[in-house]
Amino acid sequence: MQKKKNALRFLKYLPAVVLIVFIFGLGILLWATPKADYSSTEKRYLQKFPEVSPQSVFGGEFEEDFENYLADHFFARNFWMGANSYYNLLTGRNGVDGVYCGNDGWLINVPVEEKDSRVQENIDSIAKFKNKISVPVTVEIVPSTGFIMEDKLSENHFKYNDNVFFSQLIDACNKNSMNFVDLRESFSQNASKGEQLYYKTDHHWTTEGAYNGYRELCTQWDIEPTPKENFEIEEYGGFYGTTYSKSGFWFTPPDSVQIWNNPRNDENSISVDITEGTQTTSYNSMFFLNHLEEDDKYPVFLDGNHALEKITNSNAPDGKLLVIKDSFSHCFAPFLADNFSEVTLVDLRYYKNSVSDLVNSGDFDRVLVLYGIDNFAADTDLAWLK
Amino acid sequence: MVFSSIIFLFMYLPFVLLVYYIVPRKFRNLFLFIVNLIFYGWGEPIFVLLMLFSTVVDYTHGYFINKFRDNKKIARCFVASAVIINLSLLGFFKYAGFLTETLNVLPFVSLPVIKVPLPIGISFYTFQTMSYSIDVYRGDAPVQKNIINFGTYVSLFPQLIAGPIVRYKDVAYQLEHRRETLEQFTHGVKVFMVGLAKKVLIANQMGVMWDSIRQSGEANGVLGSWIGIAAYTFQIYFDFSGYSDMACGLGNMFGFEFLKNFNYPYISKSITEFWRRWHISLSTWFKEYVYIPLGGNRKGVKRQIFNLLVVWFLTGFWHGAAYNFILWGLFYGVILILEKFVLKRFLDRLPGFVQHIYALFIIMIGWTIFYFEDMGQMMLYFGAMFDFSQGLIGAKALSITISYLPLFIAAAVASTPIASKLYSKIKDKGFMWAPDTIYCAAVLFLCTASLVNQSYNPFLYFRF
Repeated sequence: MQKKKNALRFLKYLPAVVLIVFIFGLGILLWATPKADYSSTEKRYLQKFPEVSPQSVFGGEFEEDFENYLADHFFARNFWMGANSYYNLLTGRNGVDGVYCGNDGWLINVPVEEKDSRVQENIDSIAKFKNKISVPVTVEIVPSTGFIMEDKLSENHFKYNDNVFFSQLIDACNKNSMNFVDLRESFSQNASKGEQLYYKTDHHWTTEGAYNGYRELCTQWDIEPTPKENFEIEEYGGFYGTTYSKSGFWFTPPDSVQIWNNPRNDENSISVDITEGTQTTSYNSMFFLNHLEEDDKYPVFLDGNHALEKITNSNAPDGKLLVIKDSFSHCFAPFLADNFSEVTLVDLRYYKNSVSDLVNSGDFDRVLVLYGIDNFAADTDLAWLK
Repeated sequence: MVFSSIIFLFMYLPFVLLVYYIVPRKFRNLFLFIVNLIFYGWGEPIFVLLMLFSTVVDYTHGYFINKFRDNKKIARCFVASAVIINLSLLGFFKYAGFLTETLNVLPFVSLPVIKVPLPIGISFYTFQTMSYSIDVYRGDAPVQKNIINFGTYVSLFPQLIAGPIVRYKDVAYQLEHRRETLEQFTHGVKVFMVGLAKKVLIANQMGVMWDSIRQSGEANGVLGSWIGIAAYTFQIYFDFSGYSDMACGLGNMFGFEFLKNFNYPYISKSITEFWRRWHISLSTWFKEYVYIPLGGNRKGVKRQIFNLLVVWFLTGFWHGAAYNFILWGLFYGVILILEKFVLKRFLDRLPGFVQHIYALFIIMIGWTIFYFEDMGQMMLYFGAMFDFSQGLIGAKALSITISYLPLFIAAAVASTPIASKLYSKIKDKGFMWAPDTIYCAAVLFLCTASLVNQSYNPFLYFRF
């Protein structure tokens, strides 16, 4: 009896014990566990232990970097991150960190707001660019996942402004005699038929979505798209994309990524030249299967982001196409390579030379501008298109 | 350094606790003094010199005030000198930029605008040290002969950067004679946890809510605008009172006992009551060291009104070097004067809930003035709060409100003493260790998750 009372007397100090164990435990684990240099979920290098010097300490840089170091190497960081995301979700704040948790495993980026949109500026600078070249320009913008897959979202979400943005785009294209490929209707229809046009855990369109976009573009250009039956479709599971990484909803099942391979285009007919700065490397496949090892498998298409890429296909009809693009083109370009012997992709985030010079010096037949609407509305590099 | 950070919770605090309880009692103040300076200088080490300067200056003044306590004239000179030095520090670091900018508005005046970074907590510790000199002079507090003990008081890290403003006389005895107990430590842990939860789990989230609503401006509609300012009303209370709770809790862990700084201000039925419940240590300070010395209410009504206006001008200005803070202070000064001389009779006759609505209305108007340093934006926001032409609530504001509703309700409930009343009824029960422990563990867990999340920023368009 007496013993039990003593134990009870001790129990009232338990909150203090919890705090002590918690802060000492995690404090020690922070230092005792091995440190990674790189976070694959965040796709960035983590803070290194900062250099200690009188200047850095008195200037405050040491303190700042040191705090970043602690945060970056906190014990079980991803676990805490996930706990926070699910806590937010359970207390009603779906989407507060930029990604909505939808039904059936859909993780969808929150909409770009009208006031943050640069759609008008960007389409204007494309129109200005168009007047510097003598090649027809086509603009194709991929609607946002949230706009097409709205029924997968819970009732309470911000409005997707695709209709506003698309009218701006159509207006500007009409005024400046550029072609515009409006994917909204066909995407809505095909999505409701059950085609998966977007990834559930990534912000990109799927290969199927890209094929839809390709067919619509061919109709616009009056050329024959390669029929679906001609492709050998390979599927790879375990794809955790960007919205997954961003959201922290770790229990979401992965996507699979499909490679649609036209067997006609083998290593003898295909050549991909990737230029970074002054260096160009040649490959003979559009698919970089080494990236299938990673959580984010999207770079399997054209090896991810590069400043300048040229795909030549000796089997394709003669024709030179220039694509000004973001990463939505990576799974799209292999289809184009069936119709153009030479497809050049320019990514303005990294390509800083004059694109009009490139067009005027290269006897291109067509220019295509291809972006996802979210990227297009947020992009600040198109302003420098010249 | 702030309490709600990884470095504080998982490095600084464990280290300080460990060493503090290992070193012999006579070195504990010295140890605290050293780690206080680390806490203070973290990020801006240069300001440690300022802290040392303050310590030495105020220590010396206290010494001489005490020495000449029989010669009132000399003693008074030293008090004046202490006050002037402290106010000059505050004036230079906090108000110089504002004053030069203001004077430059006058024709033929063109002063170089002084831009100095504001040392953290300077508004708090200059007020603390002034209270020391004045109290020693008045004989309300003993002189502190040991400069380490004095330095520990000036720089004490729990209340250093956001209060409460601890008067020297309230901790003079504790500085030398405190005895840390497990009881007090555990109590401190619980209070700290309440503060941490207020700051991280409520204030920060209400801040996000306010930010996202505010951005839509007029499109929010009348109700949306009021919900926005209500979110800010919660943010500022939970942020500030959470910080005070953390300070009191940390103080307990090191054997100190600080006075309560907030007492459920939003349940007030009048503004007079609100200011008895809001930031108590500041109101007390102004009352004791400004209002009463000016004559308080002892020199007739006219003088009392003048005194009140002076105090509220200063209270407003203390909150920040900008016009809106002065306006905010005077706004309260005027309301308080009205309540005292006119409104009180009517208010008392109204039903309780009407009095509550009246007080909350004034408080929220006050926070609107407080938030917007830019008068133009302030007027726009006031416009939105009373402009019915924009509809009741915009789509975006509605969506945000629905998302934040659970936390908003939690904040509203936590603004009342309901939970603490319930708690005090059962707090002596034998089983209370269980809910206490679960509460602390849950707060630690959720706050850690939230703090780690703030640092999590995927770089999704990374180039390899």
